[in-house]
Amino acid sequence: MPGVTEYVILGTILFGLGLIGFVSRRNLIVMFLSTEVMFQGVVINAVAFARLHNHVEGQVFGLLLLVIAAVEAGLALGMVVLLYRRRGTLDAEAWSLMQG
Amino acid sequence: MNVSTAHLLYLVFAIGGAGLYFLLPRIRHSRTAVGVVLGLAAAAAWILVLALRVVAPGGAAYFYLFSTIAVIAAVRVITHVKPVYSALYFVLVVLATAALLILLRAEFLAAALVIIYAGAVLITYLFVIMFAQQAGSPVYDRSAREPFLAVVVGFVLTAAVAGRAGDLPAPKRPTIVAAASPAPINSLPAGRLLENTEAVGGILMTRYVVALEIAGLLLLIAMIGAIALSRKRFPSEWPVPAPFSPLGQVGREAEPF
Amino acid sequence: MHDTLTVSALVILLGPLAGAVVAAVARVGGRSHWPAILGVAAAFVASCVVLIHVNQADGEAAAKIVLYSWISDGAGSTFDIAFLIDPLSSLMLVTVTGIALLVIIYSRDYMREGGIIVRGYERFFAFLSLFVFSMCILILGGNFLLLYVGWEAVGLCSYLLIGFYYGKPSAAAAAKKAFVVNRVGDFGFGLAILLIYLSFGTLDYDIVFDLVQRGVLASGEALTQDRTTTIALLLLCGACGKSAQLPLHVWLPDAMEGPSPVSALIHAATMVTAGVFMIARCGAVFAASPTAMAIVAVIGAATALFAATIALVQTDMKRVLAYSTISQLGYMFLGMGVSAADSALFHLFTHAFFKALLFLAAGSVMHALAGVIDVRHFGGLRTVLPWTFRTFLIGALALSGFPLLSGFFSKDEIIHHALEANTVLGVMALVTALLTAFYTFRIVFLAFFGRKRLPEGVHPHESGGWMLTSLFVLSAGAVAAGYLGVDVTGKPFHRFLGPVFATTFAAHHADHITVLAGEHSLTSTGFVANYGLMVVSAALALLGIAGAYLLYVHQPWLAGLIRASSPRLYRALWNKYFVDDLYDAVLVRPARQFGRFCVGLDDYLIDGLLWVATAVPRGVAFLLRGLQNGAMQGYGLTMLAGVAVIVVLVLGA
Repeated sequence: MPGVTEYVILGTILFGLGLIGFVSRRNLIVMFLSTEVMFQGVVINAVAFARLHNHVEGQVFGLLLLVIAAVEAGLALGMVVLLYRRRGTLDAEAWSLMQG
Repeated sequence: MNVSTAHLLYLVFAIGGAGLYFLLPRIRHSRTAVGVVLGLAAAAAWILVLALRVVAPGGAAYFYLFSTIAVIAAVRVITHVKPVYSALYFVLVVLATAALLILLRAEFLAAALVIIYAGAVLITYLFVIMFAQQAGSPVYDRSAREPFLAVVVGFVLTAAVAGRAGDLPAPKRPTIVAAASPAPINSLPAGRLLENTEAVGGILMTRYVVALEIAGLLLLIAMIGAIALSRKRFPSEWPVPAPFSPLGQVGREAEPF
Repeated sequence: MHDTLTVSALVILLGPLAGAVVAAVARVGGRSHWPAILGVAAAFVASCVVLIHVNQADGEAAAKIVLYSWISDGAGSTFDIAFLIDPLSSLMLVTVTGIALLVIIYSRDYMREGGIIVRGYERFFAFLSLFVFSMCILILGGNFLLLYVGWEAVGLCSYLLIGFYYGKPSAAAAAKKAFVVNRVGDFGFGLAILLIYLSFGTLDYDIVFDLVQRGVLASGEALTQDRTTTIALLLLCGACGKSAQLPLHVWLPDAMEGPSPVSALIHAATMVTAGVFMIARCGAVFAASPTAMAIVAVIGAATALFAATIALVQTDMKRVLAYSTISQLGYMFLGMGVSAADSALFHLFTHAFFKALLFLAAGSVMHALAGVIDVRHFGGLRTVLPWTFRTFLIGALALSGFPLLSGFFSKDEIIHHALEANTVLGVMALVTALLTAFYTFRIVFLAFFGRKRLPEGVHPHESGGWMLTSLFVLSAGAVAAGYLGVDVTGKPFHRFLGPVFATTFAAHHADHITVLAGEHSLTSTGFVANYGLMVVSAALALLGIAGAYLLYVHQPWLAGLIRASSPRLYRALWNKYFVDDLYDAVLVRPARQFGRFCVGLDDYLIDGLLWVATAVPRGVAFLLRGLQNGAMQGYGLTMLAGVAVIVVLVLGA
């Protein structure tokens, strides 16, 4: 039976993958998608710790995390749309005005 | 987790990271084959590690299955060239996560995850992708920024945290939840194990009711914010910048000296 | 008593200095000559007061005034601001301030064209006053340090004034040349001062000369002849530089690029005589070294003859006068060298008058002809500029040694002493006298006689009152100054200077005569020899004048014939014996090459090293540039890297 450790490791892996995606993809939407992946990892971690302590508080926390994730997705996508309108592109590099 | 297993874990992560580096989209010298090989090697090593650790192969099969699906789908999310496919793979991640949550006896949360994510958030993402995505395969989808550094940093973080995960003790046996709460709920029958939904609902309405209300308020604010953002009006005196040419600016270096 | 002298000394110094400062700062434009005139006039009056005072003291020891201690090291040796007032210095002061005053008065009109002041009018008078101040420091100084200060300062003022028309390349080059050649001489002078300090432990005149005459060093051991000769020769080096003797004479003809008043004051009457003054002042040192005296005399005679020959063929009026100055300075050096110091100074005194007069009159010509001074371009100015002509004529007669004018008496004395010492030197002096008369009147006849010719578009008119006033006063001086040194009046000049040289030149007179004489000397000093010599001098002068008349007025074709008959000689004289070309090839060109080499070194080596040194920040910047490129994801990555580090540190995994 896999213990909490494996779940935590898995959650961390998911979190790390989301992190890598966030900083390396240039498409704005895929960037935010990667943050959602990070959220998944965090939720798994929270619930795993709830399992460890045998208490549902971790799950409640996961639920609230879900709320935050939804909020963030909504606002982020709104802003992505705005940014797209300004530059006509979804490239994150479009907003780097410095010459290098 | 003894030291050798931790180092094995690091090794798994390293191989996986190398594979990820090759899998991240790039324009030149795209070596996805190498990435796939390395990724599979990492997956195999991961399973091996798990096999070394877990004694009884009972419910572990589901864990292996769903965790592998989750990881592979997450990798595809971040490495796929087309955003639509990224979104779809994300759905897969969500489903795998939900399955894992069920394994962790968080049924309510699993259901909520599926409903909210796959049902709402992803739809929104897909709408925006359809709206804003340019035809064909633009360059910013095909090349990743600083893949090497990103992989290194991600690996370091992951390894640091995961390496310490082994210090966690084994989970406790399930106990009577009803007796554990300080303020017993009248409507609940005493003396039996609560269902997950009941437990979550109970504690949400008693202990964490303030958090619940605030979460609702947060959603309201977000709604208002989203409406405010989506208004089309912006002052005309803001300068409209010149059309952006992706290949012109990115990766350009100034003359050295 | 000392108070009068102290106050006078201060007025002499501070008057011109104040004039210079006021002229420079007060921005009064066309009235800038007033501060200069007032300052120098005050100095002149104070100089006369000093002169009278010293005359009354008559034979008492020279007055030394110490103002304050300038530098003093802990070991007790000090360098003071000290003045030495004796007949020599008071005489020089009167000469310098008097001629300076006349020149400044003259300049008031000269530095105007059509009534409007030239550009830099204030600068001119400021520099002139500054020059007078510097010269007075030189003369008044009571130790070698002040002498050197004044020496350098007059060199500076000379540079500033020669290069007055700094926009003109030839003027700027001439100023540079003057300064650099002077510097060569000053180098020797500096070495001499160092050697004096090392030998005698002090730079005060009285102590040094006392030790020299006693023949001991500061440490008490004996003073060797070699050392005295070395010091004397190094001092001579400086004197040659300042007084334009061979081989450092090359700057004086070029210095004619400056305005004519500058030429009159600095390069005829005062600065160039600083060398002679210095030799006179250091009489003790020179007198103790017969070798040095001989060299002084030889250099003097050689320079006199050399310059006179060059002057024979020059066509630029001021250049002729410049070479004439070099030649007459040679006479003074010759006089010093044969221990006739008072005669040399007498010649200095008279020369100041008539040479300044000649330069100012030439300036008058130049002013009237809008800057033309080459006699090939004009002629017959006698009727056009009558007063200029008359004053120039008086100056020319005095220079030539025409009987009964000042130059006659002073030159005659030197020739007499030279013949006494060594026949060869004496004959050189005589020949030079002949040539002097000839070339002076050559210019007179070419410029003022003959057919009236004027340059294009020039409408000359006689000079204004300010200029003529100075010319008249100087003419009077040129005529009358000689009578201060004549037997008839009892030779007041020589008697006045007597005490200065009593222990130095006069005492060693006989020694030097024997060194120079060998088997060739006319040692007779009888009546016949004296007056016979006068007759000979007069005859030479008249002969020279007559020759010039013949060649340039009566039978002009003769001059052309003579020139055609010896083209090589003519070319050598015209090119000043190619001395300038020699210096150019040997010194100037290599220096320029070295300069170019240094520039190349600077450009490539030093700048290259700098480039390498700056390559480090540039490289680092190049590497670090990517950290801040405005890309948000890059920043995010950087932040994450930081988080990773912290996590690793905290978790210790």
